[in-house]
Amino acid sequence: MSSEVHKIRNIGISAHIDSGKTTLTERILFYARKIHAIHEVKGKDGVGATMDHMELERERGITITSASTTIEWKGHHINIIDTPGHVDFTIEVERALRVLDGAVLVLCAVAGVQSQSISVDRQMRRYKVPRIAFINKCDRTGANPDRVVRALRDKLGHHPVLLQIPIGLEGNFEGIIDLIEMQAVYFRGPNGEQIEITEIPEALRAQAEERRTELIDTASMFSDELLEAALEGQATPELIREAVRRGTLTLELTPVLVGSAYKNKGVQRLLDAVGAFLPSPAEVPIEAIDLDHDNAPVELQADPAAQTVVYAFKLDEGRFGQVTYIRVYQGTLSKGDSVVQTRTGRRIRIGRLVRLHADDMEDIASAMAGDIVGLFGVDCHTGDTFVAEGRRLAMTSMHVPDAVISLAITPADNKAQVNMSKALQRFAKEDPTFRVKLDQDSGETIISGMGELHLDVYVERMRREYGAVVETGQPEVAYREAISRRADFDYLHRKQTGGSGQYAKVAGYIEPCEEKDYEMVDAIRGGAIPTEYIPACDKGFRSALAKGSLIGFPIVGVRVVLNDGNSHAVDSSDMAFQTAARAAFREVYRRAAPRILEPIMKVAVEGAGEFQGAIYRTLLHRRGVVIGSTEDEGFARIDAEVPLAEMFGYSTELRSATQGKAEYTMEFARYAPVPKDVSEELMKQYKGRPVEEEE
Amino acid sequence: MMTEMMFGLRRSARTLLERDGHPGPGPGRLALVMAPSGVGKTAFLVGIGIDALLSGQNVLHISLHCTVEKVRAWYDDLVKELLRREKKLAHAAEIQLEIERRRHIHTYVGRSFSVGKLRQAVELLRETMAFTPRVIIFDQPEMERVERETVEELRRIAGELGAELWLACRTHRQGPPTLPGHLPPPADRMEDLVDLGFRLDSHDTRVRLHIVKDRQEMLDRDLNILLDPETLLLITGVAARRP
Repeated sequence: MSSEVHKIRNIGISAHIDSGKTTLTERILFYARKIHAIHEVKGKDGVGATMDHMELERERGITITSASTTIEWKGHHINIIDTPGHVDFTIEVERALRVLDGAVLVLCAVAGVQSQSISVDRQMRRYKVPRIAFINKCDRTGANPDRVVRALRDKLGHHPVLLQIPIGLEGNFEGIIDLIEMQAVYFRGPNGEQIEITEIPEALRAQAEERRTELIDTASMFSDELLEAALEGQATPELIREAVRRGTLTLELTPVLVGSAYKNKGVQRLLDAVGAFLPSPAEVPIEAIDLDHDNAPVELQADPAAQTVVYAFKLDEGRFGQVTYIRVYQGTLSKGDSVVQTRTGRRIRIGRLVRLHADDMEDIASAMAGDIVGLFGVDCHTGDTFVAEGRRLAMTSMHVPDAVISLAITPADNKAQVNMSKALQRFAKEDPTFRVKLDQDSGETIISGMGELHLDVYVERMRREYGAVVETGQPEVAYREAISRRADFDYLHRKQTGGSGQYAKVAGYIEPCEEKDYEMVDAIRGGAIPTEYIPACDKGFRSALAKGSLIGFPIVGVRVVLNDGNSHAVDSSDMAFQTAARAAFREVYRRAAPRILEPIMKVAVEGAGEFQGAIYRTLLHRRGVVIGSTEDEGFARIDAEVPLAEMFGYSTELRSATQGKAEYTMEFARYAPVPKDVSEELMKQYKGRPVEEEE
Repeated sequence: MMTEMMFGLRRSARTLLERDGHPGPGPGRLALVMAPSGVGKTAFLVGIGIDALLSGQNVLHISLHCTVEKVRAWYDDLVKELLRREKKLAHAAEIQLEIERRRHIHTYVGRSFSVGKLRQAVELLRETMAFTPRVIIFDQPEMERVERETVEELRRIAGELGAELWLACRTHRQGPPTLPGHLPPPADRMEDLVDLGFRLDSHDTRVRLHIVKDRQEMLDRDLNILLDPETLLLITGVAARRP
């Protein structure tokens, strides 16, 4: 095994659901001799592709969790992190992106750049992940790599450059022309494993020359040597590769390759390109934060000798038990080492270290900076950092969005009860956007997450992996309540009859606060409320925020300014002030024009152009606001904003309205006030009776 | 109340023209704004769009070079800036929603645009969404790439809808000179189609607005309107009045 850092490539394969990612991964593993036979996704042999290792995923033909697997390719040591493509699982995508140094963007030669590719690509740009593109399915009817290249430029803002062109297309797709080496490449044998290199066919000669000139023109922007050599007609493959590599690393260029994983064409050359153009861990700047120095950023070095810094990016429970997927960012991690979990300060001994292949693994003695491996027997959360003795470092924490939807679940029987709690505990650790709580009033277990599909998948996993059958209630939207104007309060809490008395008076005002969910400003002068009772007031206000009086959802965006009050030498206490603050808030809240907020989702629908009208209609009667539309050679994309509460069952409606020729993605945009009629309906439901409007 | 407040927020050159008693381009007519690159043609057009939206008119914004997301960001930034200046940020959510209901952004990727397709899109918007624009903004500053027939047809569509049409044209600092009595190239190719022509002139920290064609008359009058070079909104605190 190669062990130098610059030979490591940590890559993700990112793709739209139907662009053939699993098939491609399967072929990669086959050519790298990690597997000995090829199975198709949803294959007739019932075995299923190796990377798609969850039963559920197998059935649906999609990949939901990110697993990591390692291959050796021509001296390079490639860790493939399987990134999911659905936006409902954004957190999974982001967690995987965090540990990637580069990515292969798989695009379908027929469908091109679809809405999910756009979301994932945007995330990759945010994490500054260099990409190479692979235009797959060149053998399919309607394949048009040129259109895909244009879409890469127009829709994703890339600067794509073709390194290859196909020899024939659709049913006649035979091989590729390598524009760097100027040779024709054919993939022979039953599985395309025998590569045959020949002269470029005469019919394609002129086109290849022209495309090569384009390639050199583009690449020479990144290399003066190539520019000079090209002017003298001396551009060598080495110079071109070097220039393309430079452009790729700075994200200014996207090399584009073509092929068909299903027909076993072009995959080996794609692996060559991963080694040639994507960065090694040593070429990617990585920052951690120093917890002892006010979270000051610290640049990490992919140096095996430096202080060890390890990041846990995924927990998974497979048939070998709980595996923690980690990336070593700095230093070396060896079996028997003792490291500190930064979050808790706990010391942990590394018992077993493994290198992972989708459903298989090998034990190793150590892993060095840049590597991605698995750990056993470590109790931790996703996103935890482990360090060796020395500075208290943490990898920058990732932003975790609020959950927008929740679902009440009840176990079907006793057995399910036990297994359900086991499963929920596991899921909550694995996925920070998946939350579990117990509803105090109803005694029901409530799970919440980022979308309907997100929760559906966990309910399914409970059943399949844990044998826990649960009944689910109606999905519920995570509403919020907020005030819309300032209101003054002056509240006296007094109970001085018999026994120890209670006395507290609080006064001030509440107003909308844009920046924070809650803030208390202490504007007390002259000790009207003694300082020691201020925290009790704060606590009292906070507790009142947990449940608004309109529909019982949390109140957000409130500033409480406390500017007067009174206390009693004997009868005042923390408890008295807490009660006073809570009651004062409840009373003033009605007068601050409270209203209900609902999550608004950014929805992008994409489909065949002729269904544009039908798509508009599906959005309009869901209280959607259409922001805009885009026409793209027979395809249409419609951007809209729709309240989450109206999105239930949308996929079914969209499918039937468009004969299945449209799809959509959805992500949380913001909270916005609900219209009056909806608000009244919600309050009516909450209180179980008609309610007069509170102005 | 909301309408009145929105009306009072208007700060684009269109408002000022109106105040001076100028009728604006009017239905079925074409207004063209000309400037070299970097002076702010798109911002100017977006300002015109916001102005119309704040007066309660529907706006169709067509772009051949930006994505929906990008055009929307232009509007969002400018509206936020207006609200910030007028200390009305508390109403941002409502105003945003009002604006979005009245605006439709329509973009084309690559070589997808044709005026025939645009006509279809307009009809679809009318039929399925009951959306009829009163102002059409066509943002493709490279006038060299626009066929004369396209502009003629755009004018025709605007006329049928009773909408006014706004276009931008990038002029060149080092290009062929402007002939006396004509619009600067490349706008001169279709100057007979232009009802109202404006020129943006950038001076240090200000952009000045000139009117260079008004109906049949070719002229070059400084309108004494100072625009902020960042936002292309009026700098002077001239409040818009209800006509």
